[in-house]
Amino acid sequence: MRDKIKEAMKRTFKLTEVVENISPATCAAWDSLNHLNLIFELETEFNVSFSPEDFVEMKTLNDIENKLKSLIN
Amino acid sequence: MKYFIFRNMTIERFFQNLNADFSGYEDVSVIDEQADRYIWFYLAPIAENHIIAEKVSYYVELIEMIAKRITPGKMFIVFTMKCVFTVQSVLSDRMIDDIVNTYNTSLYDLASKYGNIKVLDFSRFLSNYKSEELIDWKYYFIAQMGFNPMIAHSFQEWFIAQIEAIELKRKKCLVLDLDNTLWGGIVGEDGIEGISLGGDYPGKAFSVFQSLILELSNQGIILAVCSKNNIEDVRQIWKQHPDIILKEELFAALRVNWNNKADNISEIAQELNIGLDSMVYLDDNPTEREIIKNYLPEVTVPEFPEQPYMLPYFLKKIAQRYFSIYALTEEDKFKTKQYKQNTERMKSKEQFIDMDSYLRSLSMQLTVERLNKLNIARFAQMTQKTNQFNLTTPRYNESDIQTFEDKGHWVYGLRVKDRFGDNGITGLIIIAINDKNAYLDTLLLSCRILGKNIEYAFITYFLNKLKLFGIEKVKALYIRTDKNTQVESFYERAGFKLDKCSVNRKEYIMNLNRTDFVLSDLYKMEEA
Repeated sequence: MRDKIKEAMKRTFKLTEVVENISPATCAAWDSLNHLNLIFELETEFNVSFSPEDFVEMKTLNDIENKLKSLIN
Repeated sequence: MKYFIFRNMTIERFFQNLNADFSGYEDVSVIDEQADRYIWFYLAPIAENHIIAEKVSYYVELIEMIAKRITPGKMFIVFTMKCVFTVQSVLSDRMIDDIVNTYNTSLYDLASKYGNIKVLDFSRFLSNYKSEELIDWKYYFIAQMGFNPMIAHSFQEWFIAQIEAIELKRKKCLVLDLDNTLWGGIVGEDGIEGISLGGDYPGKAFSVFQSLILELSNQGIILAVCSKNNIEDVRQIWKQHPDIILKEELFAALRVNWNNKADNISEIAQELNIGLDSMVYLDDNPTEREIIKNYLPEVTVPEFPEQPYMLPYFLKKIAQRYFSIYALTEEDKFKTKQYKQNTERMKSKEQFIDMDSYLRSLSMQLTVERLNKLNIARFAQMTQKTNQFNLTTPRYNESDIQTFEDKGHWVYGLRVKDRFGDNGITGLIIIAINDKNAYLDTLLLSCRILGKNIEYAFITYFLNKLKLFGIEKVKALYIRTDKNTQVESFYERAGFKLDKCSVNRKEYIMNLNRTDFVLSDLYKMEEA
């Protein structure tokens, strides 16, 4: 799952590599618009629907992975 | 190919496949001169019906203002509108439909007036979807995304196909058959008295048809004749028929003979030095049409209506589909005429000829309100979220903001209303006061209200207020980030003096004693 998240990030942020501690603060391409694009990529990829409250909490790899796990299970 | 897209909602995802920059929301003040093409992509606003109505009719004025300001000849692609969401309790209420229809018709009018405007019929794309598929309300509320991101990909494909169609659409020449096409009957058999042209139906229908073709010719379309007739019979009509509209001198090339029509059309193309793919051939005879389609597949050969009363509608469709775009050289020929039309229209109708009259028409009301329990959360949120119009980009929480207030500094928000409604609190200024000196700690505006010069009214109001308060010197700071280059010279434009400057920092100073402030009368300004 983590790899798939990283792939979605690469596509969205146009990165070749995704570091483990990636966050909006460390990644210039991770702005508010691309945050939405990432959410949309993840929703499509994992066939889930995040709630608007989830959006703001998904700013690290761990947070995203945990959120996805809770939705899928 | 670089595009600049005027928009009122978050639609970046829909144009991801283009090299494009975007205007602010409903912002028409900035027109990127570097762009090769412009796009107007406004979605019907989601609001109360009377606001939709007022906004939509307003958009037409904005489009024309842009059309006047962009470099002539640069393509300006304008999308028609479809209202995808309204709540109507009265089912027969057609107000919104009427408004949107008027808007769409106006776009076609503009396209005939400004040759570089191309109208794209957005409803053709939307008809592939059910109305509930078109909006994802989650994305709408979080990000003002007026369309479901799910359909972005198919939109991109559709849009590229449209662009290609527009580029190919430029037909230059209309080649016409004569008998039963420009008039009813066959002149070789019925004689000049026997043909139907003018008078009662069906002659009347052919007259209208001819005058519409004349209009195309006036707009720069080349006309030619390719028909199987004796030229003497035809010349007799041209010279003697009282109702003939399309006379010999209007045609740039004539092939009136008994030769194969495919050869004739090829010759016309050579004679006029145009490509076969820029020609449209109209002929009532299906056999002749088939021959041209088979031998000259580049030539466009539309089906011809069987009933003369369908001719006006037929020609309108032909004009829209093939001739609604003209090559630049042909526009140039008619520039004087267009210019004359423009000035006449300007006389008859109120228009925004400059930015000020546009701004004035918005009836903007700016209200500044001091920090209180109700607005503190919004103030803090704005410091967290605002990137573009943000001079120093500090990120404050509520207690940080409260601390300023507790120390006697000024913390004010800005509420912006205009004739279309209340935008809410969309600006923030924090001014540290220290005896006779003031320091602008924070100045930010939400991108939603940019493009209306509100920033100048906002800062001028506070500089004036500081002066009245007895402040003598105001310091200000710009700190560069990846996102805020649009304000790197804001303080200069607001009248500050640059004091110190480094790569990512500019320090400013203003001596209030030596400055008088005039508040613009474009805005009604008040303190809550």
